[in-house]
Amino acid sequence: MKRSLLLILLGTLCGCTTVQPWQRDVLARPEMSLDAAPLDAAIDDHIYFSKEASSGGRGFGGGGCGCN
Amino acid sequence: MTGNDDIGAKLAAAACALLGTAVCAPASAEESTNAWSIDSSFLYYGESDGRVQDVSAIVAAQRDFGDQRKLSATLTADTLTGASASGAIALDGPQTFTSPSGRATYTTPAGEVPLDDTFHDTRFALNATWSQPLAELYTLSAGAGFSTEYDYRHLGANVSLARDFNKRNTTLSAGLAWSQDDIDPVGGAPMPLSQMLDVGDQSHKLGSDSKTVLDVLVGFTQVLDRATVLRVNYSYSDSSGYLNDPYKVLSVVDPLTGDTITRVPAEEGPTGVYLYESRPDKRAKQSVYAEMKRAFGARVLRVAYRFMTDDWGIDSNTAEASLRWPLGASSYIEPQLRYYTQSHADFYRASLIDGEPLPQYASADFRLGDFDATTVGFKYGHRMANGSEWNARFEYYQQTGSIPSQQIIGNQANREQYPDLSAVIVQFGYRFGF
Repeated sequence: MKRSLLLILLGTLCGCTTVQPWQRDVLARPEMSLDAAPLDAAIDDHIYFSKEASSGGRGFGGGGCGCN
Repeated sequence: MTGNDDIGAKLAAAACALLGTAVCAPASAEESTNAWSIDSSFLYYGESDGRVQDVSAIVAAQRDFGDQRKLSATLTADTLTGASASGAIALDGPQTFTSPSGRATYTTPAGEVPLDDTFHDTRFALNATWSQPLAELYTLSAGAGFSTEYDYRHLGANVSLARDFNKRNTTLSAGLAWSQDDIDPVGGAPMPLSQMLDVGDQSHKLGSDSKTVLDVLVGFTQVLDRATVLRVNYSYSDSSGYLNDPYKVLSVVDPLTGDTITRVPAEEGPTGVYLYESRPDKRAKQSVYAEMKRAFGARVLRVAYRFMTDDWGIDSNTAEASLRWPLGASSYIEPQLRYYTQSHADFYRASLIDGEPLPQYASADFRLGDFDATTVGFKYGHRMANGSEWNARFEYYQQTGSIPSQQIIGNQANREQYPDLSAVIVQFGYRFGF
């Protein structure tokens, strides 16, 4: 019961059609991955962590350096 | 795309859909067959006016053990040099400061915002993450990280669990990260709001200190249609312990002229009254992050937005956009744009007023002030016949800030107190599998 409620909620949230496994040609392209350029993301997090008061969001909040 | 490639991509897509998560995509059809994939980057970050320069090298190696079990490790080496704003205000005359070590002085010329140019460091960081399916539709990741620099050591660990729903069109994830950082400032950590003293007098300095950071992240990823994927994250971060920047000071100024109160050093030391900053020893941050990728034929648009708020009174908004545009069959160019804006911390003060009671917390660190920042740039990538890729990224970063007008006193209005910061970012990358 809980599980079907959750699925209904998720379906309502996105209002989207289900993409079948054989329809994933576009989504499977490497550049469509949400983590397509992990080093760029790490470098950006490090630079902005040391220059701005905010960090993280995409993943865990950067840091681990004395450049607070 | 040839017929064979097309079939390969569809097979990869189907395999990915059956085995992976909603965001699953192999680095490429070729690389997915490799046990090892290596991603490397060389970075130059350089600020104008001789401020911070950073040269970094990063190598990330991933070993695929099959059945979606992967180990990845990232090694980073950073070298930092240059000057960083000390927090003191500019004056019409030169100003002399005691360097953090307490063994020498440096002097800022008249009219310039004081920069501490004794700043240099080398940092090494190592992170490793293991991920594997835990049960049908569940993926577990666990990682550990370590970094060391001259005055700072970081130790961290994280764990996250993802669950797929809805034919893997939906993924929910939750993660925890913990870190323990030790700070051992050059010359010792100054007592908050203590005065900068003469060379050789370290009576206001304590030893090392530490802080603990706990992060919680809850994520939701949804495939919206055949060409669109959305991710929304909520994160909460709790820091406690030593959150000061041990090298930042505030000028103590005359209530009418706004000029720094002068002092006469016994032999060698500061020519004005400067107090070391004091921040709360706790900080709780919350952020919501949303990111969407959509393919328009061969082109891919990425947009992202983040709102962050914390209990220091800082709110920030970040918007990012990039468009990957193929050039022929094997190259692409990707213009990138980012805009960031933040409000100041409640305890941000351009200076402290002589004769008034000292506040409990005060910092003149520009990074806790009001500013906007824009990054513009582009990335170019080229895929070789053997499946490896090299790329280059060029970006320009510009920060423009201001001090709340009610904090500007007397002569301070005639001088630049919040100089713009600009930096170039140049990055070269190469990735390959074997």
